[in-house]
Amino acid sequence: MKRQALVAVAAATALVLTGCASGSDTGSKDSTELNVYAWAGEVPDSMVKMFEEETGIKVTVDTFDSNETMISKLAAGGSGYDVVEPSQYAVQLAVGQNLLAEIDYDKIEGMDNLMDKFRDPSFDPGNKYSIPWVWGTTGLMYNSTCTGGEEITSWSSMFDEKYKGKIYMLDNMLAAYIAGLQINGFSANSLDEAEVAKATESLIEQKKLLAGYNSTNYDELVVSGDACIAEAWGGSSVAEAVATHDDVHYVLPKEGGTLWVDNFAIVADAPHTDAAYKWMNFMLRPEVAAIATNEDYMSTANVAANDLITDKTMLDNPAVFAPEDQLEKSEFIVDPGEAMRFYQDGWTRVKAS
Amino acid sequence: MVTTAAQTAKPATVVKPRRKPRIQNGYAWLLLTPGLLSVLLLAVWPMVLVGRNSFATSDQYGAVTGGFTFESYLALFDPVYAKTMGYSLGIAAINTVLCLIIGYIVSNYIVAQSPQRQSLLLLLLIVPFWTDFLVRTFAWITLLGNGGPILWFAHLLGIPLDPLVPSQTAVMLALIYAFLPTAVFPIYASMRGIDPSLKEAATDLGCGWWQTHARVIAPLSTPGIIGAALLTFVPTLGVFVIPVLLGGGKELLVGNLIVTLYTEFRNQPMGAALSMVLLVLMLLSIAIGALLLKARKRSA
Amino acid sequence: MDRFLGWVTKLVLVFLYVPIVAVVVYSFNASPRTSSWEGLSLRWYVELFGDGPLLKTLQTSLIVGIFAAGLATAIGFLSALALTRYRFKGRAFFLGAIVLPLIIPEIVLGVALLTVFGSSGIKLGVVTLVLGHLIVALPLTTLIMMGSLSSLDPSLPEAATDLGCTPWQTFTRVLFPLTRSAMLASFLLSFTTSFSNIVISTFTSGVGTTTMPLRIYSMLKTGITPEINALGALLILLTLVIIFAVGLQQMRRILVGAEEKDQAPDAAPDTISLQTATTER
Repeated sequence: MKRQALVAVAAATALVLTGCASGSDTGSKDSTELNVYAWAGEVPDSMVKMFEEETGIKVTVDTFDSNETMISKLAAGGSGYDVVEPSQYAVQLAVGQNLLAEIDYDKIEGMDNLMDKFRDPSFDPGNKYSIPWVWGTTGLMYNSTCTGGEEITSWSSMFDEKYKGKIYMLDNMLAAYIAGLQINGFSANSLDEAEVAKATESLIEQKKLLAGYNSTNYDELVVSGDACIAEAWGGSSVAEAVATHDDVHYVLPKEGGTLWVDNFAIVADAPHTDAAYKWMNFMLRPEVAAIATNEDYMSTANVAANDLITDKTMLDNPAVFAPEDQLEKSEFIVDPGEAMRFYQDGWTRVKAS
Repeated sequence: MVTTAAQTAKPATVVKPRRKPRIQNGYAWLLLTPGLLSVLLLAVWPMVLVGRNSFATSDQYGAVTGGFTFESYLALFDPVYAKTMGYSLGIAAINTVLCLIIGYIVSNYIVAQSPQRQSLLLLLLIVPFWTDFLVRTFAWITLLGNGGPILWFAHLLGIPLDPLVPSQTAVMLALIYAFLPTAVFPIYASMRGIDPSLKEAATDLGCGWWQTHARVIAPLSTPGIIGAALLTFVPTLGVFVIPVLLGGGKELLVGNLIVTLYTEFRNQPMGAALSMVLLVLMLLSIAIGALLLKARKRSA
Repeated sequence: MDRFLGWVTKLVLVFLYVPIVAVVVYSFNASPRTSSWEGLSLRWYVELFGDGPLLKTLQTSLIVGIFAAGLATAIGFLSALALTRYRFKGRAFFLGAIVLPLIIPEIVLGVALLTVFGSSGIKLGVVTLVLGHLIVALPLTTLIMMGSLSSLDPSLPEAATDLGCTPWQTFTRVLFPLTRSAMLASFLLSFTTSFSNIVISTFTSGVGTTTMPLRIYSMLKTGITPEINALGALLILLTLVIIFAVGLQQMRRILVGAEEKDQAPDAAPDTISLQTATTER
């Protein structure tokens, strides 16, 4: 029975190996591979196909649903991934744990294509470990039919008795604290214990008004009118909802904008470094970067790609590209570092209240 | 849990106090090797790591850095954790009681059918659970939410009904849904062992429906009921998808808190400590269940 | 009263099937939003069959499920045989250890398993997925097999041994025929556990081995389409096909757990419930 078990495991391995091989129909036998670990919906199929055809490299794309999952996989060692796609604060975490390789800029071309905002960002000075791919803002999504035609411009509406039971917050600590901190006039990146505590109070106060915390189908809830206002991450399905529904709007709160950005980075123990560099150069090309916007409603960090965006209304869709003046004063949400314990303590209290 | 499963089986199978051969110990260990290896490598070793990590510290990037401290356990003394634990225990208790009541009714009905029909009914009970959990949960969201048939029907009748998602009602509904077969099967198994003539005798002696059940059937199905209670109660504490998707994530269950500690808070030591506490609590509840069973068996 | 309770039972059955019907109905919804109905369409089935990555994950899930369930059933049988037929030191320890995965939150076990695999240099992939699912399924199969074996007359295998049968012959000629349906039950149940697992899979999957529930879970973040409903509907169809293929008669024996006589129905159903307990987290 034990031997059978071993045989079974061996057979399983063989089956999958052959399964993988039969799945690839590009390139010759000794063509190299590239393993990408990214957010679902942020690496378009057509982009992968284009890369495979051009380089003959077989690409495997796996998707994760949280930065933390991705980091724990890398931290365990020998994950086999070459390129990962951490969000801004996750770049800091991964770098802190020595999981990412320093990028050799002698091998990279096309950094000039990026928007200034994403060159030398606060979370990764000098783009030492990561190159921005798609970005977005954390703002407010609202249904104007539900609000009775009222325009929403501020976080304060999310703390307004008037919309009680029709408000959703993102089910995410860092995102919730953006609203909590900014409504009190603090920086969304506050590291101050008293400020975080004040924000916690506001969030606990706000909880009575909430229909719930939701970071999965909140866009549908706004479209259907189940929610009047929801805290929202711009991009993809939110952008699509704004584009296709006249009464669905997305705004950056006047208290200040915040940015998130998902970046490509090369894993420290990447088995296929050369292929990884090819990928980095490839994704920096304007025509490739434009695919993310054209197909998935994501805002590309590549300013040179703007001319190649087929649906020009996307450039004016605030849920895709934030207006320039607002973008200018927006800040990245970075990792709170040691101040994390204030946030942990506060958020636990908010959720348990 | 093992004890319950084994013991609920006993009344019906009548295990004679047979001598179990000790001489063939070597053969027994040979049989046990694959299981023992799996358990040691894939359950005990990981749990030792979790236990170890519960006393460790982690750096600001979330990496566990070793060291030895009781900090994580001490931090759990904050009333906020007691509240979460209390709330989870409450939800688990409510879910268990409701599942037991429904489970008892359903089992009682099934046992009265012909063997052929009994099997069909059991099959019908289990089949829905062969479909993807998330798909089923989203179906509930669709059904109970705005634009769903339930609201549509209510509005058609002129009943002003709010969408049921998110709500605690929806969470309870989904929990009962998820754990119903868990409650039905052990109770059914134990009811099947009851001699039907006992019920007839009780009726002949003038017992009403209620009396028959309170004095005869329910006491005789106690092993199954306790088993069902444990199997429902213990896993409900670890639930985390249902409260988030159907409850709006406003109430924190302990399973949910552990996930947050492991991910967003990147505080693995504290997550590990909370898990150890949970483990002890669950083992205790199982031990109590087993003791209750034992006591019952002795008195019987 | 009994008649009234009969109706309650029927209502409960309807309750169990309500979401299943909804899954099927909404898979034909033309609207990309599950919250509104825009008429009949096969659009999502077309999209589903064009979604290579999703179908690839289905393949992975099936392979992992079959191997994890096969191993869990085999190992569970052997362990149960030892546990029911012999008394030895460490029995309680083994039983305690085997139920650990039922008690510990899956994320905790998953992360710990990831550390174990990482530190022992095992590459994440189908093998680690199978091992991860194996440990979650093992308590179920062991308990089912224990239930089945303890209701078995122990004199039968003993007689076989006395008559000079080798252990292998005893297994193929006596034990296997007698516990076949319990084995099938173990296999089906551990397969279901594996097939629907999300959390353990998150931490044990590797390059190119994303499982189907993982894929669905990550799709939730970018927007849910009725494509998932179409997939759900097809899986239900698959289930029905399996049920009819296995045969109602066969299923009856599995569920009632009666090998030859009707007197020991407890074992299998008793432990079937364990399965749902673990899958539904």
